[in-house]
Amino acid sequence: MANFSLIDTVKPFLPVLPEIELPYEKLEFDDKIVYTIASGLIYLFSQFPLAGIPKDSETGKILTNVKDPIFFLRGVFAAEPNTLLEFGIFPIVSTSIILQLLAGLKCIRVNFTVEKERETFQSFSKLLIIIQYFILANIFIFSGYYGDNLPIVSIVLLNLQLVGAGIFATLLVEIIDKGFGFASGVMSINTLVVSTNLIADMFGVASIKINEESDVTESQGSVIYFLNAFRAKHLTIVQGIVNAFQRDYLPNLTSSVIVLAIAAVVGYLFSCTLELPVRSTRARAMQNVYPIRLIYVGALSIYFSYSLLFYIHIAAFALIQIVAKNDTSNILAKVLGHYEIFNNILYVPSFPLSLLAPPRSFFAGIVEQPLTFITFTAFMVYTGMWFAHKWQRISGDSANDLAEQFKDQGITLAGRREQNIAKELEKVIPVAATTGAVVLALVTVAGEYLGLKGKAAAAVVGVAGGFSLLEIISLEYQQTGGQSALTQVLGVPSTF
Amino acid sequence: MSKESKENANSPIEKLAGTPLEFVKEGTQFINKCKKPDTKEYTKIIRAVGLGFVAVGVIGYAIKLIHIPIRYLIV
Amino acid sequence: MVATPPPPGGQRILRRRRQVQSSKEKKAKQTPTSARSAGFGGSSGSILKVFTEEANAFRIDSLIVLFLAFGFVLSVFGLHIVNKMSGRLY
Repeated sequence: MANFSLIDTVKPFLPVLPEIELPYEKLEFDDKIVYTIASGLIYLFSQFPLAGIPKDSETGKILTNVKDPIFFLRGVFAAEPNTLLEFGIFPIVSTSIILQLLAGLKCIRVNFTVEKERETFQSFSKLLIIIQYFILANIFIFSGYYGDNLPIVSIVLLNLQLVGAGIFATLLVEIIDKGFGFASGVMSINTLVVSTNLIADMFGVASIKINEESDVTESQGSVIYFLNAFRAKHLTIVQGIVNAFQRDYLPNLTSSVIVLAIAAVVGYLFSCTLELPVRSTRARAMQNVYPIRLIYVGALSIYFSYSLLFYIHIAAFALIQIVAKNDTSNILAKVLGHYEIFNNILYVPSFPLSLLAPPRSFFAGIVEQPLTFITFTAFMVYTGMWFAHKWQRISGDSANDLAEQFKDQGITLAGRREQNIAKELEKVIPVAATTGAVVLALVTVAGEYLGLKGKAAAAVVGVAGGFSLLEIISLEYQQTGGQSALTQVLGVPSTF
Repeated sequence: MSKESKENANSPIEKLAGTPLEFVKEGTQFINKCKKPDTKEYTKIIRAVGLGFVAVGVIGYAIKLIHIPIRYLIV
Repeated sequence: MVATPPPPGGQRILRRRRQVQSSKEKKAKQTPTSARSAGFGGSSGSILKVFTEEANAFRIDSLIVLFLAFGFVLSVFGLHIVNKMSGRLY
């Protein structure tokens, strides 16, 4: 073959790459709900503590000085520290979003009209995802995150667990993607995880030891803790209430309220639409409106920005921790910055790496890293905007595609010639996509600056994903004519 | 009309590099033209989504609860 | 003063036909930028889809995968138990 293509490198691996079979026939609405929830719950269940990490025999703490360097990125990718899903769905999201972007921009040659090429492209993505799980796992293992000088058995076991969990996470996403669930696996899973974490942060009943010396425990949920403040033994009532709003080691009420506020803002933005007057070309006097959403690319722009952030931070972590051993005298640590331990669980980067990390709290941010407010905002806004502009053009929802759809459905813009539809839409859609992405990025950074440590971005992605999914789910629900045993049992309102 | 088509010639990215102000202007114009939900619609949407979110979250948290005894067992 | 209408057929029609033809060819030559714009599902404007095709790889049924994933977590649980029973295994 004259034109060797990159994606063909997957071919030797095909016999061992697991591939979910497509459903034989279109699934019922109820079956889809069951599959989606089941896949999501198994994903949640997989947030299971890793085995094979050497621990202190008394306290059960991991013996290491290397703490969590990606704590502010975990929310967006449904990742839980020290569990099987250490990296969550990050490789899946980042790989697919970047590969699809590259294919759309013709950096990788994929002819999407040929079935064989689409299959190869998909298998190539999957292979790359698994390779990334492997690389990430080993960066963490050799950085000493799971303990220094791990025995070889531990290294093998950790690899098996982390990569195995990665493969299963990929397959769970694949199950939902292939029509067993609703629309998108990554977004369904993310929405489920974000909502679960929100409930856990507010109403979590687990009691967690707050320091190593004493046996004092506090509830995980901020609301539960607030209610408990009146009968806490180690604090007075006032202290307890104040603490409920500002404790830093566990979820506090302030951050819960901010997250709810962000969710409300995203909900508002999602219902902002530009209504284009349209009329039918077949029936006379049929006036209607076609809504163009402000948040045209949904949460995908945030996914993209955070994927880039993740790559930057994981590369920096590998260099600083593995090569420079986080030693401030090392030249690499001088150039890139180093990590400082905070609260005994977080690894907070210092200047200049801190320029691309949201501050751990608003006041710490103002005092220690005021420049971050400019650089991080600029990064989020610019990458989000660039992505939105490219994505709206390549994803099959561009002005031209929409004009084609209009033609098929027999509608046209009121007061415009039919030939000019694409041109008219071209004036609206790119502006909507980029403006929406910028607004969403601003909401995200505003939340992050208040010290939510990734929860703001997670809320944006979760709620925005939820909205995108809800649209599809309610559409499918209407197509079934509202005949769903599940909804009848649960009494869910039939209209959105 | 002629001004709009001139703007259209450049991509928004080039515009950001050259004249970020124009992008901001275009963006705010777009937002102003958008139809915003009224209070009634908004509460309806928030309630529907919030209910779904809480329902899904509670189901998820039920699974997470299984982890608590398991963690005690294995630590 | 009345301009004579151009005769039917001839150069003009030919030119227009050629134009239409070339624009059609251009469209056909231009490969679509994503699976969806080619008309085969996949990611849309606000939905990210990763897997939509059934590639010719090692095929498994979806239900089996759900059980396998569950079993995988259970095996990690077993690993924890073995670790605990045998004291310092590693």
